[in-house]
Amino acid sequence: MTPQAAATSANGMPEQTKVVLNGNELAAHAASQINFHVMGYFPITPSTAVPEELDAMKAAGVHDVHMIPGDGEHGAAGICFGATTTGARVFNATSANGLLYALEQLPVQSGSRFPMLLNLINRAVSGPLNIRGDHSDLVYTLTTGWLTFMAKDPQMVYDMDIIALKVAEHPEVRLPAIVSYDGFVTSHQKRRAYIFSDRQVVQDFIGENKPGYISVDPDNPVTIGPYMNDDLINNRRQQAMAMVNAKAVIKQVFEEYAKISGRKYDFLHTYRMEDAEVAVFFLNSSFDTACEAVDIMRDRGHKVGAVNLAVLRPFPKEELQAVLKNVKILCVGDRQDTYGTGGGSMSLEIKAALKDDPENKTRVYSRIYGLGGLEIYLEEVVEIIEEAIEYGKSGIKVPYEYVGAFEGDETYKPERVEKPLTAADQTPGIVSVEVDEGTGKLKVSGANARKLTQMPKRLAPGHGACPGCGIIPSLNNFMRGIEGPVVVLFHTGCGMIIGSGYPFSAHRVTYVHNLFQNGAATMSGIVDAYKERIRRGELPDRPITFIHVTGDGGNDIGMGPSIGAALRGHNMIQLEYDNEGYMNTGNQLSFSTPLGHATSTSHVGKAQAGKSSHNKDTAQIMAACHIPYVFTGCEAQHVDLTKKAAKAQYYAREYGFVYGKIFSFCPLNWKCREQDARQIMQAAIDTCFFPLYEIEKGVTTITYDPEKKNKRIPLIEWLKLMGKTRHFTKDSYAELLARHEAEVERRWQRLKAMHESPVL
Amino acid sequence: MAQQTEILKQKNEYGYYEIRMESVGGQGANLAGKILADAGILHMGLNGVNFASYGSEKKGTPVKSFIKFSEPDRDIRVNSPVVEPHLLVVFHTNLAGKVAVMQGVKPGAAVIVNTPKKCDEVRDLLQVPGGVTLYCVDAMKISVEEKVRINTTIMGTICRAVDFLTKDAVHASIKDIFGHKYPHLLEPNLNAFERGHEEVDILEVPDDGKYPVQPFTPFRPKLGWKNAPIGGVIPNPGNTALNDMSMSRSGFYPVWHEDLCINCGECDSVCPDQAMIFVTRKDDKGEDKRFMTGVNLQYCKGCMRCVDVCPKQALTAERETE
Repeated sequence: MTPQAAATSANGMPEQTKVVLNGNELAAHAASQINFHVMGYFPITPSTAVPEELDAMKAAGVHDVHMIPGDGEHGAAGICFGATTTGARVFNATSANGLLYALEQLPVQSGSRFPMLLNLINRAVSGPLNIRGDHSDLVYTLTTGWLTFMAKDPQMVYDMDIIALKVAEHPEVRLPAIVSYDGFVTSHQKRRAYIFSDRQVVQDFIGENKPGYISVDPDNPVTIGPYMNDDLINNRRQQAMAMVNAKAVIKQVFEEYAKISGRKYDFLHTYRMEDAEVAVFFLNSSFDTACEAVDIMRDRGHKVGAVNLAVLRPFPKEELQAVLKNVKILCVGDRQDTYGTGGGSMSLEIKAALKDDPENKTRVYSRIYGLGGLEIYLEEVVEIIEEAIEYGKSGIKVPYEYVGAFEGDETYKPERVEKPLTAADQTPGIVSVEVDEGTGKLKVSGANARKLTQMPKRLAPGHGACPGCGIIPSLNNFMRGIEGPVVVLFHTGCGMIIGSGYPFSAHRVTYVHNLFQNGAATMSGIVDAYKERIRRGELPDRPITFIHVTGDGGNDIGMGPSIGAALRGHNMIQLEYDNEGYMNTGNQLSFSTPLGHATSTSHVGKAQAGKSSHNKDTAQIMAACHIPYVFTGCEAQHVDLTKKAAKAQYYAREYGFVYGKIFSFCPLNWKCREQDARQIMQAAIDTCFFPLYEIEKGVTTITYDPEKKNKRIPLIEWLKLMGKTRHFTKDSYAELLARHEAEVERRWQRLKAMHESPVL
Repeated sequence: MAQQTEILKQKNEYGYYEIRMESVGGQGANLAGKILADAGILHMGLNGVNFASYGSEKKGTPVKSFIKFSEPDRDIRVNSPVVEPHLLVVFHTNLAGKVAVMQGVKPGAAVIVNTPKKCDEVRDLLQVPGGVTLYCVDAMKISVEEKVRINTTIMGTICRAVDFLTKDAVHASIKDIFGHKYPHLLEPNLNAFERGHEEVDILEVPDDGKYPVQPFTPFRPKLGWKNAPIGGVIPNPGNTALNDMSMSRSGFYPVWHEDLCINCGECDSVCPDQAMIFVTRKDDKGEDKRFMTGVNLQYCKGCMRCVDVCPKQALTAERETE
């Protein structure tokens, strides 16, 4: 919880507490104090800490915001839209491609006029993938009709979240609002800030939400979201008017907020602009660095200043015209590019605003900087201002250029570190598979651990996985059952991030990444286009095994495309490593997290007992697609896993889509010792929590039956081994344990029945 | 605001006292940064900022943690990483070969190194310029003995090296962190802190011109926009094999005993680091068989899963002091 050192109360204003928190933590504190009815969210770096902190506070009983994890950002945005139609106060936080995945929903929210608050933690839009901050995500929202406030530092995140919601709910406005702040710089830098000591102050300030229409009043049925033809333009005009109205409302709310907080905001941040002839514009956190650079240049006798926006929508055109009136030259730092217009969005919008002032003679040019979170140092901003001063005398020489991009050394020709694995290398002939004439099922021979050390690993050493990571041995034990060349496609996730940090790749075979709702679809395209190019005689017909690797998270947000690929029956294997959470983004719950297990979005505390629902049975979902082969596997029974790989390869080649779920160890987030992997994984199997089985052309076979081996142990024997489940050992969680046990038992009995009957 | 006496004796031209910690994910540099920032801001009235240079949530890769302090009424406007630290903290000497740790360290700065070695040796190892005060502390040993992470031990040494930072302030902020959530960890952490404060080898490095100051230069790879393949493609399969992952280990490494090994391959089936070396050679009967020949310590991250599964104790976990 928040360390509290000093509370301040001055001039009769409400008491505030001094804290040292980052932007995400302050967003969570604002949300907690507002006490939203609902947060619909899906974790994405660098916004994840917002729901994490909020969930931690919820478990501690600080607030009662109902937290709903979406199946992806699109789903999360839908949850938010639905919740707002009831008149509830609703909150969401996202970044980058998460925003883009939800983008379709943003005009629905604004066009239907249901206010809510979205924290957009700025991050570079992929691909190639980058998790750090720039404004390429933000600019996608500019035409969605949302109010947009900018928070340049953590204090402003807290303040703007409160201000934005009040503006959004104002009867003259009724629009959703974004509060946008820089990924990592603002989201993760811990700074001194002040928050109201009593949340009632915040709630009183915002006041009551008075929704016009709600979806849950049986006495007053309404139709929300009709289809509109010629009338749509009128709806849009109302929306445009609301944005105009917001201007006056924002001004008023800024003044009211200053009265209770002592912090006065305006549409713009300006620094030493009174007599400035040369100015730089930087949005969000870089503005502070620019202020320092302005001081340096002022000391050298130059009349320079800096400008930033606190409000991006409605766009403060008049305010910009006024502050830039006497400025001769303005360099706009654009932390995104529009590609092909000669500037980023901010330079284009500012140019347009100034064009409307017939008196204005400011010349404006664009510098693209800081993409993908590339640091901008003070010295670089000083150089930018020096150039602007020079342009003031000479005129603009280069109106559009990238700052900080590096040329590289053209004489450098990177040599291949390793000779590529050949088809022969990958075909040592150790594991073989044949059809058993009697049963019609497959028989595998040769899976011997000693011999299999000869199969070259498709993944090179030197990758960035955590010590003890289960993903690598899971993949290794599977891959050594796959004879011949392979092409892999990884969804976003731990497995992806550890093996492809530019300019390094741990993949010895061809590897493709796509964002993690879409891996199965992408692999479908590769598989079928490869066949088509062979059919047209453009490529030689060589037997490649196509393997799509996903985490359990990828198969939450990507379940739809996975089912789509399964139903189309492409000749590919989908391999899911299931470590029961979104580990790459910091251990948020996935639908595969079991009941009661603690994650960073399902904390255990006095008001909450871990995840509230049971784990998803993905293998059975995929079995219901009636694909030729489904299996489960685990490195603790690695020979079993390798044999299943050989079968998977056969079925994928001869019949079509294969799905396998591998239970995968994560010591970091399961909170256990790395060297206890074997014991913990085997315990999960022996408790029947994770049964090992396969479904060949619809017929289920349990491949390792702990009961028949007389090895079955109670569920608690597994749960007690991990920090994330150790609370189950306490008497106070007995009922939770009983529910967990009952579900494990129900699924096991069902599986046994399927094993016993070929028609089930 | 009333005029206050200045707390910070050392600061740069923008008014900041700056700390850079060079560490490896999982060793707690990030938490150390938070605790120290809390101590300075909440318990000593300074202004400050604390942040880290990290990306995805992983253990075992290099991370940096930064702290900037300023006088209470001075805004901290430069939010980029610390390039010329007043205090540099090196959590692991193995970092020295991989990260330009000494960059920007100037005379008058302090350098803390977690190492069992003494200052005289470390001075040459890290090429510490003259005029710097060097502090060497065997934080790994203390932490293993106190059963805590190394960060609280190192915080003790930091408190010793930073003149304005009081023990009381750091104690208070350690209590804020551990006291609520992990009360059973409070006492061992405070013990480690105290030992980190006391069990230190200190050297005022003579101004002998032996090693020059290494100026800060942003890392610029050889591949840039003129020569990198378009689309971000990496046409170099498996080139992570160039990487040295040894710094990911936290005090232990697996030692292979050939005489006990039966070459069963169980270790290879669990090793996440592809570190088990097997070769084909003739056995006694002249047949080609696979044989274990050792552990590649360039790649081993020290998880000890091989030690756990070995049926013959042919792999054992040993303390790594270098």
